[in-house]
Amino acid sequence: MTSKRVGIESSLAVSEAVRLANVDVIAAYPITPQTHIVESLAEMVANGYLDAEYIPVESEHSAMSACLGSCAVGARTFTATASQGLILMHEVLLVAASLRLPIVMAVANRALSGPLNIWGDHSDAMITRDAGWIQIFIENGQQAFDQTLCAFRIAEHPDVLLPTVINIDGFHVSHVIEPVYILDQKSVDEFLPPYKYPHPLDPDDPITMGCFAAPNLYTEARKALDASVRASKKVILDTWKKYGDLTGRYYNPVEKYKADGAETILVTMGSYSENAMIAIDDLQDEGKKIGLVRLRLWRPFPYEEVQEALSAAQNVIVLDRAISLGGPAPVCSEIRAALYTLDKKPQVASVVGGLGGRDISPDNFKTLIDLAMQKLKAGETQEIIMFGVRE
Amino acid sequence: MKKDTSIEIRWHGRGGQGAVTSAELIALAAIHEGKFAQAFPSFGPERRGAPVLAFNRIDAENPIRIRSGVVKPDIVVVLDPGLVTLINVTDGLKPGGCLVVNSTRSVEDLQQEFSGDWKLAVVDAASIARELLGVNIVNTTMVGAMVKAAEVVKFESLKAPLNERFGARASSNFEACMRAYNSTVISQITTTGTKKSKSFPMEKIPGWRELLVGCIVTEPGNTKKFGTGDWKSQHPVWDDKKCIKCGICSLFCPEGCIQPNEEGYYRANLFYCKGCGMCAHECWTQAIKMVEGT
Repeated sequence: MTSKRVGIESSLAVSEAVRLANVDVIAAYPITPQTHIVESLAEMVANGYLDAEYIPVESEHSAMSACLGSCAVGARTFTATASQGLILMHEVLLVAASLRLPIVMAVANRALSGPLNIWGDHSDAMITRDAGWIQIFIENGQQAFDQTLCAFRIAEHPDVLLPTVINIDGFHVSHVIEPVYILDQKSVDEFLPPYKYPHPLDPDDPITMGCFAAPNLYTEARKALDASVRASKKVILDTWKKYGDLTGRYYNPVEKYKADGAETILVTMGSYSENAMIAIDDLQDEGKKIGLVRLRLWRPFPYEEVQEALSAAQNVIVLDRAISLGGPAPVCSEIRAALYTLDKKPQVASVVGGLGGRDISPDNFKTLIDLAMQKLKAGETQEIIMFGVRE
Repeated sequence: MKKDTSIEIRWHGRGGQGAVTSAELIALAAIHEGKFAQAFPSFGPERRGAPVLAFNRIDAENPIRIRSGVVKPDIVVVLDPGLVTLINVTDGLKPGGCLVVNSTRSVEDLQQEFSGDWKLAVVDAASIARELLGVNIVNTTMVGAMVKAAEVVKFESLKAPLNERFGARASSNFEACMRAYNSTVISQITTTGTKKSKSFPMEKIPGWRELLVGCIVTEPGNTKKFGTGDWKSQHPVWDDKKCIKCGICSLFCPEGCIQPNEEGYYRANLFYCKGCGMCAHECWTQAIKMVEGT
């Protein structure tokens, strides 16, 4: 394996991964903060740098619809979007999963209207939670590159055949130029077998896709889809192991940072995990028994790994970058559910922050942890802490 | 569990025959009497002519809370005579229950089709509807027959809902309803039916592990297994003496089921023919006649 260390914007690193994956079809509609990904891919196709069909469509709904068609004939298919674009795709997203079409999509996560806001948070990913897509979160440009490549291998694996989304924090990752190791074509070709859909649409061998299911069949169809999403974890683990062996960069559904033996564990997802690491370093230097656990795999939800990582702690603080209006914060809700069956359950504090691009600096993280600890000590864990909100 | 005090009715009809309206009228009449009642269709993709179901629940004492389908009816009403031999209309009918059928057959003849401890009520609703309404839509007629056979509501209570539903056509519909009420013949099924009991094959539905990836269907053209022939209440009959073999019938058949035979005369494949009558309408030598029955 050889790779080249380059300074590159994370969005373009994603495009490089897509080029190396030698995709056949890209159908996309530009939207901030995802635009650089599809813009650069369009340029590659126009310049003959990438031999693919680039379909400029009139909306995200059409983008995903075009992806359905191309993926169904057996073409390796990629798209990217964000925020309002992702929710405009929504109807088709669910169909992609139920048809078991392994489309790979990058989402530069951004807040949802309203108010209109183009900056980063996880609202768009959370509202797509139940669509049947495999969902992976990354923290930096290197991970964006790595996980985009892995996504093709995971999605297209004959035991998986599910659409997969790589969640890349808008601006905080998407627009940052940083050093990224770009793999050589030969290594990518060896890592990523050609896409072969078991029953591609073919006029000479016709099949029916997306047919109707009455009440006597719909439950079975949904059960089969749910089972396949859950079972995909095996292939995800295997893919990440192989990628680690190839590059030295290993990934896991739940990743610990200085969390062994910690009394209190902060749980984060996405790029703010790196800010949190800096805060954890400082706090541990001060002798505080606090560690960090980052959730990488959001769907299928890694229940066992979450339990394993958090069961020994006394306190857990979960940061959500999305809000479920009138309900529990989404990540925290799942973490609490995962811990519920344990005999000895840690106390869990729920924090919502970093909405619509609001920064959470390493120093802010220390304040956030202090605040959560006060609530935990007082046993006041019912209420969500809205971090940084002005009264 | 509290004693069940509600009466459940299942209506068998064909799309377009008005089974849903029948159920509606009965529910409205019962509610008008101060009773509790429900009327609902079987929700589905059925088209005109396809066998359809509608349901009622009537309870004189207690509010009805159940939202499930009716599986053990007290009363079954069959709007289309052809359905008796096509589907298991007595499926789940409670012992002591009542079966009301639109048929030109006599009650003695028809009861040979059934084996069970049921009351059988027969009325020639089609003739009544044709005479009084000018169309073979028997919903209001069969409401009259059903109320005669099992007095779930008072006959007079039907008047208000009929007026509301049919406006200018209410009086003729009320007359059809009353004619049926007065001419329904009721008998107790005492013997077991002498005809060989029919078997109604059930389609095997796969379990979730048996579904192909993405629920795809790999067998092309399998729609041809889907017989739409049971949607019809009439079928075309050709008079070859009048036929000039022009093939207009074949051309206009929306189902594409009319083909020439070896002698060049046209015939419909009754497995698919929906009995729409378009062939008879288009035949300019009037060689095609629509005849009752499937």
